[in-house]
Amino acid sequence: MELQGVPSMQTKPNPGFFKRNPPIAGEAEAIELAKSGDAEAFSRLYALHKRRVYTLCLRMLGNVSEAEDMTQEAFLHLFRKIGSFRGESAFSTWLHRLTVNLVLMHLRKKGLQLVSLEETINPSEEDAPRRDFGSRDTMLAGSVDRVTLERAVASLPPGYRMVFVLHDVEGFEHNEIAAMLECSTGNSKSQLHKARLKLRELLRNPQNLPLLKDFSEPVGQKGVGR
Amino acid sequence: MKDIATANLDEMTPAQFEEYLPELFETGGGKISEDPRFTNFFKANPNCAALVSDLETIAEQAKSLFEPTHEPSDSVWSNIASKLQDGAGKEDQDS
Repeated sequence: MELQGVPSMQTKPNPGFFKRNPPIAGEAEAIELAKSGDAEAFSRLYALHKRRVYTLCLRMLGNVSEAEDMTQEAFLHLFRKIGSFRGESAFSTWLHRLTVNLVLMHLRKKGLQLVSLEETINPSEEDAPRRDFGSRDTMLAGSVDRVTLERAVASLPPGYRMVFVLHDVEGFEHNEIAAMLECSTGNSKSQLHKARLKLRELLRNPQNLPLLKDFSEPVGQKGVGR
Repeated sequence: MKDIATANLDEMTPAQFEEYLPELFETGGGKISEDPRFTNFFKANPNCAALVSDLETIAEQAKSLFEPTHEPSDSVWSNIASKLQDGAGKEDQDS
């Protein structure tokens, strides 16, 4: 995949993604038609994938307005580059990689120019998970419901949220995340662990979590930026 | 990243155990909470057992977030359609 100014990603087939992204009825035909410039087919692809792309942008950026802008950018890029999709991975996987790369490029443009995320991904000490092995740890009561988890994820420091969403939600491998974030795989693993620890901390006090409508803090203004 | 294979579980502290967790979650191939290698360690360190169980729950529940919950406003498609009509897509497609 070659995108202008967007780092290209390896497109080797990943069976896990085909498992999580089974082909959608009518998608293959729409892709072929869209490749030849069929506007109707492209609008069908938008209808099929808009929610997944937007949700991904929203989770990565934590901000409705920016997420909508990036969704728009992702589909405009898709229109320009769909001819290069060769089906080596599921279409949605390819589209998600394209989207992630655009979001990361957007974040770098906002304030992370020439600075590796490895250096900036770590949140401040007050945002980091506490280590409290000294006292009796209580387990999370029962299973965690989806809405509460979504709220907790939205409350994570941006760097943690990025790695958690890419790995645990989107299903990217650590080597893929490391390539996207320009960090080591060890760093990606470590950040994921810290993200889960922080989520555990947040989920113990769900009453303190903000409502989802409060997705309003642009990533570049806290945590990731300098 | 540390390798648990070389560690002495009988003398390991909870803090030391946690240092192995990122790698264990990646290479465990199953639930750490059900790994027989750690049965005695978890009995002696219930806080570690609780931590592992909670982190497994979080990782498992994260999969439920894969299906989208949010929808962009109608203006997103209007903007895309209008830019495509203006030739924004075609311009770059040709370049």
